[in-house]
Amino acid sequence: MRKNTTVIAGSLAAFLLAGSVSARAEEVLRFATWDSDESLAIQQAIAKKFEEKHPGVKVQVEPYADGYDQKLVAAFGAGSPPDVMYMWNFPQYYTSLMPLDDLIARDAAEIKPDDIPQGLMNTTRVEGKTYGMPSGFTTQVVFYNKDMFKAAGVEEPKEGWTWDDLRAKAAKFRDKDNKVYGFAVDAKPDPYDFEQFLWSNGTKYISDDGKTIDGYMNSDAAAEVLDMFGDMARKEEAATLHLGDDTSGDTLFKGGKIAMFQSAMWSKAGIDAAGFGYGVAPLPKFGDKPAHSALGVSAMSIAKDAKQPDLAWEFVKFFSSPEAVAMRTNDLPVRTSVAEEKGMTSDPVYKPFFDILATSDIETHAFLKNRNWGKVQDNLARAIEATMIDQGNAKAHLDDAVKRSQRFLK
Amino acid sequence: MTIAATAPAVVQKRRSAFSRHLTAYLFISPWILGFLFFTLGPLLFSLTMSFHDWPVVGERTFVGFDNYRTMLLEDPQFWESLWITVKFAAIYVPFNIVMSFLIALMLHHATFASGFFRTAFYLPSVISGVALVTIWSWIYSREYGLLNFMLSLVGVDGPNWLGDPGLAIVAIIIASLWGFGGTMLILLTGLKAIPKELYEAATVSGVPGWAQMLFITLPMLGPMLLFTFITSIIAAFQQLTIALLMTKGGPLGSTYFFAMYIYDNAFKYFDMGYAAAGSWVMFLIVLVLSLLVMRWSSAWVYYEGEVKGGDRNA
Amino acid sequence: MRKTLLYSALVLLSALFIAPFYWTFMTAIKSQADLYQFPPVFWPSEWHFENFAIAWNKQPFGTYLTNSLIVVVFSTIGQLVSSSLVAYGFARFRFPGRDPLFILLLATMMIPWDVKMIPLYMEFNLLGWINTLKPLIVPAYFADAFFVFLLRQYIMTVPVEIDEAARMDGANAFDIYWRIHLPLMMPALVLVGTFHFMNAWNDYLGPLIFLNDQSMYTLTLGLSMFKGLHEVDVTSIAAITVVLCLPPLALFFLAQRYIMDGAVGSSVKG
Repeated sequence: MRKNTTVIAGSLAAFLLAGSVSARAEEVLRFATWDSDESLAIQQAIAKKFEEKHPGVKVQVEPYADGYDQKLVAAFGAGSPPDVMYMWNFPQYYTSLMPLDDLIARDAAEIKPDDIPQGLMNTTRVEGKTYGMPSGFTTQVVFYNKDMFKAAGVEEPKEGWTWDDLRAKAAKFRDKDNKVYGFAVDAKPDPYDFEQFLWSNGTKYISDDGKTIDGYMNSDAAAEVLDMFGDMARKEEAATLHLGDDTSGDTLFKGGKIAMFQSAMWSKAGIDAAGFGYGVAPLPKFGDKPAHSALGVSAMSIAKDAKQPDLAWEFVKFFSSPEAVAMRTNDLPVRTSVAEEKGMTSDPVYKPFFDILATSDIETHAFLKNRNWGKVQDNLARAIEATMIDQGNAKAHLDDAVKRSQRFLK
Repeated sequence: MTIAATAPAVVQKRRSAFSRHLTAYLFISPWILGFLFFTLGPLLFSLTMSFHDWPVVGERTFVGFDNYRTMLLEDPQFWESLWITVKFAAIYVPFNIVMSFLIALMLHHATFASGFFRTAFYLPSVISGVALVTIWSWIYSREYGLLNFMLSLVGVDGPNWLGDPGLAIVAIIIASLWGFGGTMLILLTGLKAIPKELYEAATVSGVPGWAQMLFITLPMLGPMLLFTFITSIIAAFQQLTIALLMTKGGPLGSTYFFAMYIYDNAFKYFDMGYAAAGSWVMFLIVLVLSLLVMRWSSAWVYYEGEVKGGDRNA
Repeated sequence: MRKTLLYSALVLLSALFIAPFYWTFMTAIKSQADLYQFPPVFWPSEWHFENFAIAWNKQPFGTYLTNSLIVVVFSTIGQLVSSSLVAYGFARFRFPGRDPLFILLLATMMIPWDVKMIPLYMEFNLLGWINTLKPLIVPAYFADAFFVFLLRQYIMTVPVEIDEAARMDGANAFDIYWRIHLPLMMPALVLVGTFHFMNAWNDYLGPLIFLNDQSMYTLTLGLSMFKGLHEVDVTSIAAITVVLCLPPLALFFLAQRYIMDGAVGSSVKG
């Protein structure tokens, strides 16, 4: 028996030792991204470009797609984060990220910070310091199916339209037998994006000092927004998304089941591929109040303990350089100069994205104001969902959310 | 199970206890080493963390029993998610075992195309989580789903399965039971291991079928039933993937399982200390439940080859 | 009559379990237009078999396949050897601390993964194992509680008298394990092999946490890459899912008859 055990132990040891111990001659820069598919391919191409300009450097692109947060938490928790990473959740991570203000000031001549809209830079700032460089962004718009509009004889949306206009148009598309709707409302929207409707109706989730939600999140203006969406669902002007199934608005819009669809740049490639004529309209207004949009920014951050901070900074700079920004076709250029050069600011498809950016730099996203926002947000999300199930009764649900959230604001 | 102390056995018994026990420890040494290498450290680490405020990407602060106190006294989510999990387990565990047992019995008696049937029932267990969502969302979707399409053929306007707070948990239970193939195979293996002679002798003596089931099949299957019982309880409490992918805890938190509560605290709120405390609470609950089942099982599990009393394997 | 009843029930039930697989396959070969039809399209008008090749070539799936195979083959061997040794130890010996140790073994099944993950990451990082396949293989050589428990329950259904007889013939403990219990355990070992194969093959969290570089990724990670934050590539998910199911299914179909021939008697008499 002893002999057999030795054999097993021996082969085990041999196996353990025969690992892949490959010496690395070149410098390796780890870069983590949440993108997949085409967007990932674009980033790999940018990384390749960077490698060409820096011989001896290898950029290891680490895509984690849906598992991004989980992976990053584990890596940070264990003290071995990637050198450079995509970032949006600055309040949670900023203590482990490198402040970039000094570097930006130092290389201002090269970076030209004025070329990047202030609204985008604001989303990377925590407690007055900048922790990320925007490399791509998107605002929210309404896509509409031109073929369906023509077939139904409905006039296409115009600039400056309101939610009342949208509802009137949407009602005309409802076709019960073929399960066609005019619009879609989301029962489980990303609260980050959803705040744009509160802004547009003159309120916000939380006070600017990050201490009060009572009278903000549950204000009459907020309840009005939710009740409106609930009412749209009840009157069948809109399909309800994510109430029980995973069917996305993208899917319904591409399949010709909804005529209008509120979304962002990430939907555009798929809609292009669907092969029908479509137009892009700005977000509707609440009455005559100006519409605001949430800002989705893909920013690049550097880990505080990055092994090669200089190289990492070069890489981050390159990602927001005109050359790299121009390569990104799956989101929008963060540089005004690139957008203008490509003629996007006057192109009818892209114009609405840029127009609303101009009015969207006055508000700050709630999560930048309070560290515990994540927990508050889950109660809020439940209130939105409850309103969509009830198809109304928003005030009561929001009050409840405020009550459940008070303990996180202490 | 008589202990016939034959002459050689007596001689062997006299060998030093040290050598006897050493052999036993050698056999279980892979697990002991693995426990020391890969489990003990993480276990102690998470226990320590449960007494800390640890926002993962930042400093740790010792907070004593604060995490546990907050969880038990101030956090309604804790009790809500625990209650949902208990409800789930109370339905899932018996159904999983009974269904597995019945189908295993059917397969045990089926001789024709048995390989095909066994593979068919195991099929769902082969499909990975990412694809499961797509499949179930296709089945349950209110407007475009297969289930409601079938119902519409018989003139029923199907409900919103995953969108109704009362129905969603039922839908999740069905989806979980669908992966019963593993449990079923374990029981089938157990059935196959019961010596046929027992049934033959019983039949000859005129023992009716139901009595054979009660006095031969069930007792002989006891060890395997116990196994599936305990592992089903553990699986029920750790239920996460299906709910996370299918309902994300909704609607209105009706499928917000305890494992998801821990998961959210860790990866959504970055509150690793709190998540660790939650994990320890869950660990203790499952451990106590399992020990109760183990104790209770001594009343109904019969081990043909139990090594009691004297040590006969030195 | 009873047989007819039995088989009709089996056919009906198994159809329930096969249907989703059928649907996954059909989704994989459907055209984009057929994908979102209502009522659902059960028999696609056009069959796009090229969808498999397209999905496969969207990512380095050849590399993923190699990595998955390495992990699955080596960890399954380790799991079979170590779990059967440990199970035999717990089932057939009496030694100080056996029962507490067995409870401890059971308890290790009950620890949620969320909290083990970070310390394990730290440990593997210290060992230099991050971004290698070792964290996915090596632990399998140290016996998994679930399988030990399963095999122990199985061994305990075997009468001790069989061991006794062998010992009288001069067999030592390892001989008894090797020559008597391993053959007897065969059906249960096939189960363990199947279950472990499936776990390792479909494991998503382990590879996600311990691997960084696409050249080290496994098939499941590749599959999950089709589900981005905003866009889900349904066709590719379905296609790769079908491909991913085939090896374990084929293997299971070949292995399952050993579960069938698990009667104790035959091997004992030999």
